[in-house]
Amino acid sequence: MKTPGILVAALLLAAAASAQAAEGVTQYQAKPGSKMRMEGTSNIHDWQVEGNIIGGSLEVGPNFPSDPTKAAPGKVDAKATVSIPVRSMKSVEKDGKPYNAKMDDIMYEKLLEPTNKAIKFVLGELVVKEAAKAASDPVVFEAKGELTVAGKSKPITMPLKMTVLPDDKLKFSGTAAVKMTDFGIQPPEPLGLGIKTGDDLKLIFDWVVGKKKA
Amino acid sequence: MTASPQDLTRRDFLAGGSLATFMGLLGGVELVAQPEEAAKDEAPPTPANKVKCAVIGCGVWGREIVSTLSRIPTAQVVALCDKYPAYLKRAARLAPEAKPIEDYRKILEDQDIPVVIVATPSHLHKPVALEALQAGKHVYCEAPLATTLEDAKAIALAAKHSPKLHFQTGLHFRSDPQRPFVLNFIRSGATGKTIMARSQWHKKQSWRFTAPDPEREKEINWRLDPQTSLGLVGEIGIHQIDSASWFLGARPTAVTGFGSLMLWNDGRVVPDTIQTLFEYPDGVRFQHDCTLANSFDSDYEAYYGSDAAILIRGSKAWMFKEVDAPALGWEVYARKETFYKETGIALMVGASKQQALTEEPAQDAAKPTALQHALTNFLRNANDLSSAAEDFTTNFGSDDPKALLEHLATVPRQPHAGYREGFEAAVMALKAHEAIATGRRIELKPEWFELA
Repeated sequence: MKTPGILVAALLLAAAASAQAAEGVTQYQAKPGSKMRMEGTSNIHDWQVEGNIIGGSLEVGPNFPSDPTKAAPGKVDAKATVSIPVRSMKSVEKDGKPYNAKMDDIMYEKLLEPTNKAIKFVLGELVVKEAAKAASDPVVFEAKGELTVAGKSKPITMPLKMTVLPDDKLKFSGTAAVKMTDFGIQPPEPLGLGIKTGDDLKLIFDWVVGKKKA
Repeated sequence: MTASPQDLTRRDFLAGGSLATFMGLLGGVELVAQPEEAAKDEAPPTPANKVKCAVIGCGVWGREIVSTLSRIPTAQVVALCDKYPAYLKRAARLAPEAKPIEDYRKILEDQDIPVVIVATPSHLHKPVALEALQAGKHVYCEAPLATTLEDAKAIALAAKHSPKLHFQTGLHFRSDPQRPFVLNFIRSGATGKTIMARSQWHKKQSWRFTAPDPEREKEINWRLDPQTSLGLVGEIGIHQIDSASWFLGARPTAVTGFGSLMLWNDGRVVPDTIQTLFEYPDGVRFQHDCTLANSFDSDYEAYYGSDAAILIRGSKAWMFKEVDAPALGWEVYARKETFYKETGIALMVGASKQQALTEEPAQDAAKPTALQHALTNFLRNANDLSSAAEDFTTNFGSDDPKALLEHLATVPRQPHAGYREGFEAAVMALKAHEAIATGRRIELKPEWFELA
């Protein structure tokens, strides 16, 4: 009879699908194309630091939205560790041109490079807030995790936007507001000429990851 | 540029306080680079920030480099090389921790040394520089890059095709922070329309060294041998010629030159006195003269504009305004000095008004020299490039070489003369040398400056 054949086929297909789902985990690895920007203030002028290496990996479970427009609000299974090499960050002018190597040195010293070579983030929880309006629009998440700077860790919560890119890549964009003193860093007063750096920092990033090839 | 022992004495002379007197006799508004206030809060270099380096070629200038490196906190001289044992020994005294080596290839084989500084006689730069790049070293090669166009091109092309390695030419003026500061006054129009430029390097000295045996004597006097020397224009003038092109913002279109042997008639044929004239676009010309027969007024560069002239002497600079030039405003507060009855305005890089008024001209000895800036920047650039490559491959793997090179292109470099500046300066010096030797005006073809 035809029906049992189709049924068998359907069952096999379902079995195969569920086997896939049970394994369910998709792994992503950091790819070039990321951007990290740190904005700060001082009593003289605002300043900014940029870098374009954000390393790390991401592992997502079967409930991770594969179609951005169908992302259902709620918690999704996701694990991630993110690492930004401190020495990849350089101070820049507002127009992106390199600013000052001495300021970079002061920053590295404050971030305790080379003892602490990277700014790290470990993801604890990822929750879908809003699905994408169209396939090219971002999915909005809320991410909770632990940020480690200069060897000190602090829990943070931040909004995260995920955009699907071609070639099995994803881009995660976010902003986190932190204070230097949260990480035991005294805002530097360089040059001894009364320049006082502000405590507030804004971290803005675009992290690009690509599906790990088997 | 190679220096003689007498140069070191001159530096001491200037540092000894007589500079203030000398400057007092002259007049000009001084452009003084701000002393390093940042040193107070500067990050003390941890061992990881130190860059291991080797100096290949320990003649007079090589030893000046070793001595300068000892003043740079991020430098760690781990090896010295010279095939002449006496020079090697003298250099070793300046860097007691460094290993003295006679064969440069041993340094190139050492994976633990990431950068080398090539300070051999100019005609011997090529094999060392090329092999160093092949061995994966960052290279600082003294100017002139080479004594023939083919050799200079070979070095420049090898550097161009080694994008993971940082190559720097020993045109140290390009690293002096005072210079872009001064250049701004020209670019911003404060000096008006550029009329002409001139420079000189005058120092009474023989240039001849003595040695225990004739073979060594011939080797050591390579600058006096027309086979191996570009003479005064290639060894000394090249710095000011490169500077002029930088400041005038153009390449010269033709060069004329003359050379004579005026004083040191010891059997040499290389002129001890030269005059060169470089033609630039729009009627601008640059004169450069150089002599080993007289020391008056030492070395300086002057850029003449319709509203003001700028005089650069070492790391100091002054602006002399024309009486009918428009007021800039700030010059009312700036310090002024009188030169030959002309009043010059001191231009201090990075200084506030109060500092401009009250600060005494810093003594030469207290400030880093252009060479020190160049070597500091070289070590930094090399280290930044290596770190960037390492961070990239650690985080993204090595299967996308194109992306790696794209990333390396974004790494900011501290001011320096790269392979392109080094090559162009070599072309100008070589052609000036040819003009002097042949007594002909030489038109400088644009294609000579091209690096395929």
